[in-house]
Order: sequence, then structure tokens, then C-alpha cells
Amino acid sequence: MTLFGACRIMAELSIRILIPIFEFQEGLFPPFSNPAGWFADWLATDGGLDTMAWFYAVNIALMVGMTNLILVIHLERKIAARIQDRRGPMLSFRSLREVGEDLSGNAPSWKFKENYSGIGILQNVADGIKAFTKELIIPTKADRFLFTMGPIIFISSSVFLLALFPLSDRFAASSAPAGLMVIMAAFSIAPIGILTSGWASNNKYSMIGGMRSAAQLMSYEIPLLLSMAGVFLVAGSFDPVTIVEQQRESTWLFGLPMWNIIPQFIGFVVFMVCILAEVERVPFDLPEAEAELVEGWTTEYSGIRFMFFLMAEYIRGFAGAAVATILFLGGWAGPWPVPPEIWFLIKVYLIIIFWIFIRWSVPRIRTDQILVLGWKKLLPLSLINILIVIFMVEIYPYFTAIVNLPEVF
Amino acid sequence: MAEMWISMGPQHPMTHGLWTLKVKVDGETITDADPELGYLHRSVEKMGERRKYFMNTTLPDRLCYASSTTWTHCYVLTVEELMNVEIPERAKYVRTIMLELQRLASHLMWAGSYMPDLGHITGALYFWRDRELFLNLLEVPSGSRLLYNYIRIGGVKRDLPDGFVEKAERVMKLFEQRLDEYSDLFENSKIFRMRTEDVGKFTAAQAQNLGITGPNMRGCGTKFDLRRNDPYEIYEEIDWDIQTREAGPGYGDCFSRYMVRIDEMKESMRIIRDCFKKMPKGPTLASTIPVRAQGEAFRRTEDSRGEALMYIVGDGTDRPYRWKIKSPMFTTISAAPHYLKGYKVADIPAIMGSVDICIGETDK
Repeated sequence: MTLFGACRIMAELSIRILIPIFEFQEGLFPPFSNPAGWFADWLATDGGLDTMAWFYAVNIALMVGMTNLILVIHLERKIAARIQDRRGPMLSFRSLREVGEDLSGNAPSWKFKENYSGIGILQNVADGIKAFTKELIIPTKADRFLFTMGPIIFISSSVFLLALFPLSDRFAASSAPAGLMVIMAAFSIAPIGILTSGWASNNKYSMIGGMRSAAQLMSYEIPLLLSMAGVFLVAGSFDPVTIVEQQRESTWLFGLPMWNIIPQFIGFVVFMVCILAEVERVPFDLPEAEAELVEGWTTEYSGIRFMFFLMAEYIRGFAGAAVATILFLGGWAGPWPVPPEIWFLIKVYLIIIFWIFIRWSVPRIRTDQILVLGWKKLLPLSLINILIVIFMVEIYPYFTAIVNLPEVF
Repeated sequence: MAEMWISMGPQHPMTHGLWTLKVKVDGETITDADPELGYLHRSVEKMGERRKYFMNTTLPDRLCYASSTTWTHCYVLTVEELMNVEIPERAKYVRTIMLELQRLASHLMWAGSYMPDLGHITGALYFWRDRELFLNLLEVPSGSRLLYNYIRIGGVKRDLPDGFVEKAERVMKLFEQRLDEYSDLFENSKIFRMRTEDVGKFTAAQAQNLGITGPNMRGCGTKFDLRRNDPYEIYEEIDWDIQTREAGPGYGDCFSRYMVRIDEMKESMRIIRDCFKKMPKGPTLASTIPVRAQGEAFRRTEDSRGEALMYIVGDGTDRPYRWKIKSPMFTTISAAPHYLKGYKVADIPAIMGSVDICIGETDK
């Protein structure tokens, strides 16, 4: 059963409660309350049920995404604290006994099981309450309309992403044939929000941050799409489900699965670098370089607007890892006893943990360096990847047909 | 985008203290710069003229919060020259040990604050974690962690306690292991080198003309260190080398300044170990210390950041008639336009962080 099928059943169940309520309202003040009746009639039709089912499906996808967002933030905090050897309030009381005095010359021993209580996840709740209760400041000379629109564009395009990628062939809020193209289109709306809010803040740091975002977009977007093109050529489709099915079916030596990461390793590396720039994590968080631009384009924002930026960044990170999983790591393909959705999330979280390790162990690179990286290194590499794929898909099968070559690909 | 002036500071993540750097940028390229100082002026010199000589040792402690013992030592050395005080042999060794521990703590503070400038928060926490070890060591004889007031006219406050040598050996062994670990994270890291190499360059001749001293000058190949060239305490008798970067591609840039400081930390540990070996027994404070002084005296010492100079005039009373402090950072910050022009906005924290700014001593 697919997610949509389940939602359809839920919709059918819920109209049994909803229709009597609307009919009761219709009888209250005729003829003014007639629209309630019309709405009840529409709900009972096929179109009404489908609409309601879509509504449920999208909300479930949103809830799954938001739960993962909280987990990702929690994971980032915990791993950062471990990497940085920090003794914060989240670890302190029980771990201090074990760490003891460093002068002994022994490395501090932290036992995960004893220290981890999971209570730190409540920090997200505290952050949310803080962001909601803070004052929303708009600078006097800022462009009020664009200043308000910036965060809305950024968060809405990011949350939109959650509805676009499937967690498995049955757990999907939407199934567009051009699914990955839509995802990449939604990804590249956000820099417009950054540019807008950077300009509207009427602050020099914010403006430089917004400009950097535009420069960055130009350097990574082309190699990103070219590295994805290899996968599309192999699968012959933009549909996530088809791409994953193709990877699931192709096998390698000893029947091992040949996910796209093996034949298109160059493409995978290019994609991982570019998607890191796309989701603006260290070392590519140039637009909000806190050392020189204070906080870049988010300098003037406060309260829930600032929180929107923070949330959207993590949602985009999660979506970026999901796209990488679908394209190169075989999506939800995996051995039987574990459900495919869990396989998908395991792979996504492995990528996210890898990103967290990168974030806390490298410095930020410079604007001119990312341009050099994008145009001089990643672009030729992604073209080489496409050449390899063309050889693999078109030329090699042609020779195997004439000469007796083994079928490698 | 047209050229525009951006004001960085006095409250800005780049500044490390209260000062303003106004930069003129063309897009992302710096075309002009104008540093402004004076936000932290506390009139230390004038205050010192109203206090007695031995009371004044607390004031230079507060000149630089990251390297306070070296400044007190410079003051004490000048006053001792003014008063013709001979200090015991053991006191010289204890002073040298404390100075080098302070240099280690100061360089670690610098390295810790330099990493966030490049966007590397983890580096800050690693280096500050190690600075904690040396602050603990400095706390053992002096009793405090930031402002020690340990070096006194005529010697030091008290002798090193029992077990200090063993404790210091343990700390230095641990720190050496960690420095080896960090080499993979920093100097062998591709992105770290991309950010620091060929950035903020100045030549040895430029450094001499602009008055840039200390590790910043040694970073561009000049073999000059006051501990060797104008020796004080027992640096003559100790076995150590001046750390410089060889002239070649990329010398005199941020990376060479980073490497000089890392090498100096290793060298400081060598000096401390040698001091432990050669240290004699005996008193640590001169038996008679005069209160009044007549005449004038001038001393310069190798501070953690460069040449610290002090000039004191005594008029026969128990208070200095004139006390002049010259800080190495004052000239280095003033020379900022010379080594900022032509680089990118993202290089500003990388360059200004690499010269190890301390505003306390600059504004006095």
C-alpha cells in the first residue's frame, strides 16, 4: 500500500465524521449556511476525496521532515560537542567524573551510553520558544516588503522540498515524472530569498552576503546539474522511483549491487561538493561568514525570522542528503528484513554525519576560491563523468554485441 | 557595486578587542584601509606616575590580558636597571620559566582566536583547551590565572613549589603529543593552506620600515629576537634557536606567521626543560630593594607579540617621574593598510588575526 492509498482510506473515513458536521451547519441559518452543504457534497465526490488525501499525504511528509529536522539538529549538536571535546551542560555532570584532570596525561574517556540521556533534544523546544517570543525588528531604512518576503521565500521553498522526494516507492507525497528536476528547481529558489533579504536589510554586510550567494550559485549550479546528468542518462528518467529501481536491478561482481556510486564515482564526488555548496554548509557558508560579515545576510533578522533561516538550512541539508542517496547510493534499496524507508533514512543520516564531521574540521574557503573550484575543477570533472557514462551506456554495449566481451556494466 | 567604505568595529567578530578598521572595498577587493585606535585607553602611564614603584607592578599586568607576565617583567627589568638591583640567580631562572610559560599561553590564545577567523570553530576550542593546561601551571606558583603579579622588583613573589617540575613535564609531554595531532588538522590541511598561504604578505624590509616586530617579523625571514640579540635574564646560557621561516615562496604570509608561532611554542618548551636542568638552589628575592630612584632607564624585551619597550625617569622620589610604554602592536596595527590592500574581504580576519592583535597593550 502506498502512502497515497493510506491517505485515501483516511479521507474516506474522515468524511463520515465531516459530512454530518457540515450538514448540521447547513441547517443552522438557511440560506446563508448553504455553502457548508455544497462543500459537503464536493467532499463526497472523487475529486474531493483525492484533494483530502493529498492534504493528508503532504502533512505526513511535512511531519516526517520536521521530526528529522529536530533529529538532525540534535545530532549536529551532540557530534560537534564530541568532536570539539566540549563539556557543556548537556554532558557535564556525569562525564566530569570520568574526564577528571587532564594533567594525568591520559585522554579523557567518555562513555557514550552513560552520558547520553537524550534529554538534550529538548534544547530544540527551548530554542523554538525563544525564537517565538523575541521581538521582530525591522530596521528603519530597510525595504519593509522585501525584508519580510526574504524569509518567506527561503522557508517556503525549503519546506516545499520535503513534499518532493520519496522515502520509498510506496512512501511518497508526490510522484512527478520529472521529480528530480523539480527538486533542483526548488533548491535554486532559495538564493533569490537570500539576495532579496541581503539587499532589503540596507546593511553593507548583508548586501555583500547576498552578492556572495549569487556568485556562489553561478559556480556550483552547473557542475551540480552536469554531475546529475550522468545518472539521468543511465536511468533514462528524471523520476526518483525509476532511478532507484535501475540501481536496484543492476548488479556487479558476485551479484553485489552496483549503485551509481561505483561506475560514476567522479560524478558522486562532484555532486557531494556541489550539494554542500547548495545547502551552504561549511566550508561553503560564504554568504553568512561570521568572521568578516558578522552574520552576512541574516545580520538584521531577529526572532522567528532568523529561526526560519536556521530551520530552512537544516531542511535543505536533509533534502540534499536525500537527493544524494537517491542518485548515487541506491535510494531505499537494501537487504530484506529492514523496511526500505529505514534503509533510506540510514543512508541519509550517514551522509549527514559525514557533513557534520566536515563542518567541524575544516575552515571556510574564499569567494574567489569557490569560483575557481566550480569553474576550473568541478566543471571539467563532471564533463569527464558524462563521457564515462556515454561510453558505458552507448559504446560498450555496441562492442559487446560484435566482439565477445563480458558484460561489465 | 561602486566602491564603498565598510566600518569593521569597534564591535565586530574580526576585531579581537575594541578598535575599528575602516576598509574601502571594490566589490570584494580591498582598495584602502584605515585603522582607528584609542577605544581602550586607560592612561596606564599617567596612573603609574601617581603610584609607587613597587605598586606599579599590577599595572603592566593589565596591559595585555593574554600575556601579562611578560609586560610586568619588562617594567620590573627597567626599574631594576634604574635602581641598580642585583637579583639572585635562581630568580632569573624562575622568571625565564614563567616568561616562557606565558609565551606558550599567549601563543595558544592567539591560535585559538585565529581559527574562528578562518571559520574553524573546533580549532579555537582545541587550542583554548591546551591553554588551560598552561594557565593551570602558571596558577601553581602565582595563585591566579590571568593577572599574576608574580614578578616583583628584586626577584619573584615566591619560589616554585615542590612537584612543579614534574607537573610541567607532564603538561609539556601531553601538549607535544597534541601539537603532532594538530598538524594534520591545520598545517597539512588543504583548505587551511588555501586560506593562509600568499595572504597578507610583507617583506623583511617592509617589516623593518613599518616597525613590525616579533613573530610577525620572524615570519618573513628576519633572524632577530631580543632574547638573543639583546639578552636579559639567562637566555644567553640556555640552549635554544631563533625560529624563522626560510625565505622562499609564500614566506611573510599568514601561514608563515602561524608556523613561526607553532615553532616558538616548541622552542619555549625546550627553554623550560633546559631551565629545569640548570636551575640552582637559593633565594628568589633580593635581600634589599630600594624604594627611591634617580635617573633614567630604558629596557626592551621580547614580548609574545614583539618588542616591548619601557622608559622610566626617576626624580629621586618613590614614584616614577615619567613612564613611557611602547607596544609592538601599535605599529603593527598602524601598518595594516600596507598589508591589507589588494586582498579580499574574506582575508581581512585572516590577515588581522594572524598578526596577533592585543588592544590592551596598544591603547595602554
